Amino acid sequence: MKKRHLKEFFKDKRVILLIILILASAISISTLGIQQGLDLKGGSLIQLQLEKPVDKETMDVVTTVLDKRLNLFGVQDVKVRSSGDQLVIIEMAGVSPEEVEKLIGSPGKFEAKIGNESAPVALTGADITSVDMYEITDTQWMVPFKVSTSGAQKFADLAEGKGGEKVYMYLDGKLIDENPPELAPELANGKAATELSVTGGASTPEEARTQAQNVYTVLKTGSLPVQIKVVGASTVSAELGEQFLNGAIIAGLLAILVISSIIFIRYRNPLLVIPIIITSISEVLIVMGIASIIHWNIDLSAIAGLIAAVGTGVDDQIIITDEVLGRQSKSETNKKRRRTRTRMSVKNALFIVFASAGTLIAAMLPLAYVGFARGSSGIGTLAGFAFTTILGVLVGVFITRPVYAKFVEIFLK
Amino acid sequence: MLKKLMDSYKLLIIIPVIITIISLGLIAFNGIDEGIDLKGGSVAVLDMNQPTSSSSLESQLKDSLNNQGLGVEEVDVLSNIGTDITVQIGSEVNSTAFNQALNGTGTVVSYNAIGPILSEEAMTQVYWAMAFAFLFMSITVFIIFREPVPSIAVILAAASDIIISMGGMSLFNIPLSIASVGALLMLIGYSVDTDILLTTRLLKRKEGTLVERAREAMKTGMTMSITAIASMVVLYLVTIFLIPEATTLTNIAAVLMIGLIADILTTWFMNLGILRWYVEVKK
Repeated sequence: MKKRHLKEFFKDKRVILLIILILASAISISTLGIQQGLDLKGGSLIQLQLEKPVDKETMDVVTTVLDKRLNLFGVQDVKVRSSGDQLVIIEMAGVSPEEVEKLIGSPGKFEAKIGNESAPVALTGADITSVDMYEITDTQWMVPFKVSTSGAQKFADLAEGKGGEKVYMYLDGKLIDENPPELAPELANGKAATELSVTGGASTPEEARTQAQNVYTVLKTGSLPVQIKVVGASTVSAELGEQFLNGAIIAGLLAILVISSIIFIRYRNPLLVIPIIITSISEVLIVMGIASIIHWNIDLSAIAGLIAAVGTGVDDQIIITDEVLGRQSKSETNKKRRRTRTRMSVKNALFIVFASAGTLIAAMLPLAYVGFARGSSGIGTLAGFAFTTILGVLVGVFITRPVYAKFVEIFLK
Repeated sequence: MLKKLMDSYKLLIIIPVIITIISLGLIAFNGIDEGIDLKGGSVAVLDMNQPTSSSSLESQLKDSLNNQGLGVEEVDVLSNIGTDITVQIGSEVNSTAFNQALNGTGTVVSYNAIGPILSEEAMTQVYWAMAFAFLFMSITVFIIFREPVPSIAVILAAASDIIISMGGMSLFNIPLSIASVGALLMLIGYSVDTDILLTTRLLKRKEGTLVERAREAMKTGMTMSITAIASMVVLYLVTIFLIPEATTLTNIAAVLMIGLIADILTTWFMNLGILRWYVEVKK
């Protein structure tokens, strides 16, 4: 009897799908891992404001330049992204905001010297008026740029007769390229030219591209297209992040314990408590699995979202259970008719489940939109919350909760 | 008892209505604090070298920051447990200046400074997000029930639920922050859950009397509310005792506790009352 039911249960398409998804999630979490947000792993977040709104192209230049500059100074694991048309957000693990403010707060001093490191400065960032896109021919690369007339004159004077010598380029006193490019002979004739270029060669075209890209950004770095200023900064130490994570896990486990006790007290049936817990845990597992595949950051607000989704999940399971049990109390003697009744009740319950899921998703959509449209500035930090809630509810109503309904339909009589 | 209660349903509608009006009054006259993410300012979580009194730390920081020429008017210690202290500064102070003011008496565990531009933007986004969330929810409810009275009853219940929660925030000095806005939106979901359950059971089911159906729905709905409240109590206690620094989580839990309790009133007094009235009139 029981065996037959088990067989029927595990033959159901949704049950099979759930098992596959749980396995897939477990595999992806263990191989890909879960990206933790800064508030959990510790780190800093800085928000910069440009002096005026800019178009996408300029914004791209600003973010690349900042990214490059931070990388150049050995700041590891840094993420620079734009938020809207005027804000830039920098996230990094393990650097204090002060250091970063120092690095990006200043315009960045670019200098070029010809010959050796003690030579006088031939060119500074202030002399550069514009930088053009780099050009690559096979393994040779070239970055053209324009300098002011006075800058051109100064450079020509210092470059005279030095064709073939190395040009050392510095950003804030740091050497940009360990293998400096050589001065083109045609620039060593003493004549002022406002259109200059840096050229070099690499062993592969890809390498050439990387080198050209580096020089290009550095030249640009010397002169950010717009002024920026820090408008907000936050930092969380790694220890505090760990405390947050542990606290959230403890809260989650205790909540499951408390919810199970309440369910047990209400129904006096362990056969119900276990599937409700399994359903809730598999919801969390699948959402985490999806997060690991799409590299979604799990931060505190995402955890809050998970809690919200699981909370509605428990509500839904109570609805399903009551709908089925409530009908059965009107003891139907005919087995077949009872079965159809149960099926009807499950259908009724799923209507309520879908309806409330629909309203919750509708309420969360504006928040998710703000987050995706504006990046994580301001209320955008809640996008993680909204997105995780929506994801959790979708996983719940389409996969896990119908499986629970199937379970109740087959096993509860 | 329950039977009696259910008979005087018209009177019962008044209870949540009165509480909603009181909450509106609280919000209007007492106001709701704004968290620094919405009004701008700085919050630091500190690990002090030795237990320090809140007032001496406040004056030390204030004096030192003003000596740096920053013109800080307000320094408040939000929590002070052993050597763990959370300080809030009314204006935006960068962490370098703050470190200097702290003068090595402790280490900064977390620092958060929000400039006025960001906070202003966040506030606007909060209004829009809440307005649209409510609008979208209402549309969905209309699509589900396709009857004006039951739909409006659900929407009214959700609205007064949110208002009562905000009244609670005003009463208990829970600041309106980005996190508590999240909690309020979450509340829309929880609140509508029980309302949809009630409406569906009452209007779509055929067997049993109206009171019987309502009682069944209440049994289910109360189980839902109690589990939700219990898990928020757990979250609240865990954050208070284990991670006092996570004030955002504490606030989320507190807002949801108030809201979920309010939801019991709005669902079973107000929404149920309106629906019974509606069914009676339709007869």
